[in-house]
Amino acid sequence: MKRIKAFIPYLQTYRREITIGIIALLVTDFISLVIPWLLKSFIDLLPQKPSGSELAWYAGMLFLAAVGQAVSRFGWRKYLFGPSRKIEVDILNKLFQHLQTLDKTFFQNHKVGDLMSRATNDLRAVKEFLGLGLLVALDAVVVIIAAIALMIYLNPQLTLYALLPLPLVSILFFGFIKTIGVRHTAIQEHLAKITSMVQENLAGIRVLHAFAQEENEKKRFDALNREHIARNMHLAKLFGMFTPSLVLTIGIASLIAFWVGSKAVIAGDMSLGAFVAFNGYLMMLAWPMMAIGFVINLTQKGLAAMGRILELLNSRSFLVVSPATIPANSLRGEIEFRELTFRYPGEDNPVLHSLNFRIEPESTVAVIGMIGSGKSSMAQLIPRVYDAPESSLLIDGHPIQEIPLDRLRRHIAYVDQDPFLFSTSIRTNISVGREDATDAEIDDMVRCVHLTPDLARWPQGLNTVVGERGVSLSGGQKQRIALARALIRKPEILILDDAFSSLDIETEATILSNIQRLDQAITTILITHRLSVARQADQILVMEQGRIVECGDHESLMKNEGLYQRMYTNQALAQEMEILLQ
Amino acid sequence: MTEWEEESLEGRYYDWPLFKRILAYLRPYGKLVAVSLVLLLVVSVLNLAGPYLTKVAIDDFIRLGQYEGLDRIALIYLAVLAGAFVCQFLQYTLMQYIGQKVMFDMRTQVFAHLHKMSFRFFDRNPIGKMMTRTVNDVEVLNEMLTSGLILVFSDLFTLVGIFLMLAWLDWRLMLVVCIVFPFLYLATYAYRTRARDALRKNRAHVTTLNSTLEENLSGMTTVQLFNQENAQYQKFAGINRDKLKEDLRSLHYNSIYLPSIDVFSAIGIGLVIWYGGGRFVQDEVQLGVLVAFFQYLQKFFEPIRDMAEKFNIIQTAMASSERIFELLDTPEDQPNPERPHSVSQIAGNIDFENVWFAYNKDNHVLKDVSFSLKEGESLAIVGATGSGKSTIINTLLRFYDIQKGRILVDGVPLKEMNKQDLRRQMALVQQDVFLFSRNIMDNIRLGNTSLGLEEVESVAQSVNSHHFINNLPFKYEQELIERGSSLSMGQRQLISFARALAFDPRILILDEATSSVDTETERQIQDAIHELMKGRTSIIIAHRLSTLKTVDKVLVLKHGEVEEFGTRRDLLQKKGTYYNLLKLQSDFSKGTV
Ligand SMILES: Nc1ncnc2c1ncn2[C@@H]1O[C@H](COP(=O)(O)OP(=O)(O)O)[C@@H](O)[C@H]1O
Ligand SMILES: Nc1ncnc2c1ncn2[C@@H]1O[C@H](COP(=O)(O)OP(=O)(O)O)[C@@H](O)[C@H]1O
Ligand SMILES: [Mg+2]
Ligand SMILES: [Mg+2]
Repeated sequence: MKRIKAFIPYLQTYRREITIGIIALLVTDFISLVIPWLLKSFIDLLPQKPSGSELAWYAGMLFLAAVGQAVSRFGWRKYLFGPSRKIEVDILNKLFQHLQTLDKTFFQNHKVGDLMSRATNDLRAVKEFLGLGLLVALDAVVVIIAAIALMIYLNPQLTLYALLPLPLVSILFFGFIKTIGVRHTAIQEHLAKITSMVQENLAGIRVLHAFAQEENEKKRFDALNREHIARNMHLAKLFGMFTPSLVLTIGIASLIAFWVGSKAVIAGDMSLGAFVAFNGYLMMLAWPMMAIGFVINLTQKGLAAMGRILELLNSRSFLVVSPATIPANSLRGEIEFRELTFRYPGEDNPVLHSLNFRIEPESTVAVIGMIGSGKSSMAQLIPRVYDAPESSLLIDGHPIQEIPLDRLRRHIAYVDQDPFLFSTSIRTNISVGREDATDAEIDDMVRCVHLTPDLARWPQGLNTVVGERGVSLSGGQKQRIALARALIRKPEILILDDAFSSLDIETEATILSNIQRLDQAITTILITHRLSVARQADQILVMEQGRIVECGDHESLMKNEGLYQRMYTNQALAQEMEILLQ
Repeated sequence: MTEWEEESLEGRYYDWPLFKRILAYLRPYGKLVAVSLVLLLVVSVLNLAGPYLTKVAIDDFIRLGQYEGLDRIALIYLAVLAGAFVCQFLQYTLMQYIGQKVMFDMRTQVFAHLHKMSFRFFDRNPIGKMMTRTVNDVEVLNEMLTSGLILVFSDLFTLVGIFLMLAWLDWRLMLVVCIVFPFLYLATYAYRTRARDALRKNRAHVTTLNSTLEENLSGMTTVQLFNQENAQYQKFAGINRDKLKEDLRSLHYNSIYLPSIDVFSAIGIGLVIWYGGGRFVQDEVQLGVLVAFFQYLQKFFEPIRDMAEKFNIIQTAMASSERIFELLDTPEDQPNPERPHSVSQIAGNIDFENVWFAYNKDNHVLKDVSFSLKEGESLAIVGATGSGKSTIINTLLRFYDIQKGRILVDGVPLKEMNKQDLRRQMALVQQDVFLFSRNIMDNIRLGNTSLGLEEVESVAQSVNSHHFINNLPFKYEQELIERGSSLSMGQRQLISFARALAFDPRILILDEATSSVDTETERQIQDAIHELMKGRTSIIIAHRLSTLKTVDKVLVLKHGEVEEFGTRRDLLQKKGTYYNLLKLQSDFSKGTV
């Protein structure tokens, strides 16, 4: 019930249309009751040898009734199905918007394929439930009530007999319904698995083909789909019993009516016309009985699906929303870590241990350390991809949570080690950074990140479409476009997380000096494995297993004889090359 | 650059061939379909028995005031009901089964076909689109097969049955009813052409919608960090609006078409009243016949209405199947040769002979590239980013076919080998690591389940990945999340490194394999790499020239052309580009620049 409730607001948006639809439906049902009535009076009239004009009157009336029925049928189709399709779109839009508010933790716990499955397969089930399901249910109820009422009117006693087997229906109902729901959920979940597998296979197709894994993947997919068949058949067997049982029940009812009724006619307690009409009404019950089966299936499927969609709509971002927000129209770019200990949501062990340091505005800080030492984890706290514990991370002296999120992000540019590009043109990808960027600014940026030589080789230049995630670019091109996209925001804080790993050292140096020359005050955090780049920073942080083990500029760290000094000499590039070059 | 494919809104297939092709999927289950049809026939006949029994009862018993025999009829009625129950159950389950099987066949076929496609295809087609084909479109088709197509037969049976019954009761009355058929046909035709267009466009928009959704979900963090939420939402909602428009359009046609059948039905009944009533008055028909006639007539238009409803489902399914078949009809553009050269075990000689290659027409990325490597030799490819280093690898693994020149492995042109066999001899560590949401062990060995935990562990040990894996809560059984994103980038590279070695290749290819690894870790891996390079042909791409200390040969690439190629010693003595590159790096490291 809670699941249905959540969708009432969506229905309410279209209450006008739905009301019209319901009225039209009632009219349709009413007319479909009138028609047997007309036939009954016609048959009763027949023995009296009606005249031609009387016959024409009946034919005409019937025709009129049919036209009325057609019009009202048009009405409910349009105004009951219409809203369900509109609601489908509304829910999807809402879902999309809601997903946008969720943080990375959520997306790490939900596969893209799973989310896609909910947004497509499950949503379809919901739409069908809201449109077809509610309609048929309503219709069935109306028809049942009306038919029974008319039967009672015609012959209450016979009705009683005829409805004797009906309690059976409710037994069936409660016996089956829960299991059907459970099995539907199982199917929908499995469909999500299939979707996920397809998604992941396509996303990783290059790796799979490089390792000639086609056959293995096909086998996995086969197995997964076989399981899907099994789950579907599990439901089908149950449901296959359900509808025929309902039909059987109504069959038995009409059998009783037939048996008892025919004797009543012979005994003269009932007119033949009434008997025929009674049978007609009883037969009208056959359809709602089948419909009930159908509706229950749709409903259970719809509810299972709704539950899965609601799960998403009820998820909340892990990011703390602090009430005390400060305006932050611009940032100075001071960053302070205060006893910061961080663990990923759901993990037991911290990856960052009591970090303490301050980054002065407009300075450049290099962060180095072995893989997995927590460099990226630390960097991601600043644009709040993940949330630092309260009051342990301060920007310009304010706890980071007090700065409105969108403001904060507007001033920070984080360049990922594995940048995500959109499947649009290079120009659009860059202007993602700032939508009002002029062409001249974009050109400037392209020059700044040293992309001009590459662009010159493509016929469409900046309008070149980069393909999904930028597949048609080389690694270094992707990284530079991502950098341009970041710089064009004119950020106060720039975080480069190993952002040049695919660039040669020469290009990297050129770009770094270009950035420094931008007439802009930028605080730069530079995560890198290249010590030759790191040494030029104002301050170098050396991380090891989530701790800052050394801190200072190149000279002081070299004197320190610690990790940095060891790494630097171990790298020993210079000496080796000296030897090589001899 | 590659053309990004927009979803086309046009139709490509004609109705009848398309429909036949869908039906062809039922062929393997011909027997089951036949049984299902027989069951349907039985159900239809049994359903017709009710009114007939009523008629018999009225004409032969009730009107004559006869009690005897009624009980027998009631008993027959009961038997009919029981029979209908059993048949219905069997029929329903059977039909579901067939539907599931067909869906299975189709889905696995689409999946298998996708795996036959070349990288060019994947460059052009968004993931969301291919997902829609494999999952959603197939699902729509299933609906038609289970709740549409076969039931049409049942409706047809019922229709024919009633038709015969009517003819038998009174053929003149029946002929009168037939007047409405031509109109019915016209209405159907008018509906079909319009609805199809709307449905087609609707499916196209759905595909675009799913692609957009997929992209947004994959890149959500980027969307959020760049405050793109609203922009993306507007885009998404826009597509959704387009979709809705077509959706409502098809609904509109549908809402007109279906009720029109009621009018036809009423005309039919009206005609019977008028004509049949007149004949009854003239004592040409019996009352029982007329009553039965009305009952049947009402049932007569039910299947027609039903079929009209199914027609809608069928049209939707046709719009989906059109897209599925379009995918299935996409030819394999780099097929394996019919009689491939056997490549069970290669030595590892590689020759590039004047290779020209362009991803897109005439924009050559590799220009006249030639080099050769003997078995067991190692080669370093150096050059600025975008110069075509990865492209050389792409052509060597035959991810893309070259336009001019030849690539030979052990003297055999690539095109004469089976692609998969060739790739099995090579192992590639790419710059973009892709990990699957499976456990670490499966990520290292992939489908090669013959490798046990011990082997995997020893491979991981040799590339220094063991240490961090062993620190994870579940070690090798640790399930990774999508793309391995709970690992640091360097850790991901280490896993992909181990993956390459687990395959024990003849040719080892490292494309910036250690670019995200710190120098300390890299130094530790170095020794392992050298050990591994022994006896194998290897190609290494790296920016840190220190990585390249021990290679035999060097190829310097510039804008897709070979600038220098030779042994390391030769190139150093030549004091050309390679020498300068080394010098520059050395200067950087010393901090003199
Ligand atoms: N989303 C995550 N959930 C759980 N653990 C994570 C997540 N991301 C990274 N880690 C773990 O945190 C540690 C530090 O990772 P990271 O900060 O990416 O290292 P690096 O210094 O190489 O950038 C690693 O051991 C990694 O496995
Ligand atoms: N799939 C692709 N489709 C079209 N162009 C591509 C594709 N992959 C790479 N390119 C282009 O080919 C050129 C060489 O790329 P690549 O070989 O990846 O360079 P790198 O030397 O950095 O490895 C680049 O200009 C790149 O944009
Ligand atoms: Mg990192
Ligand atoms: Mg490359």
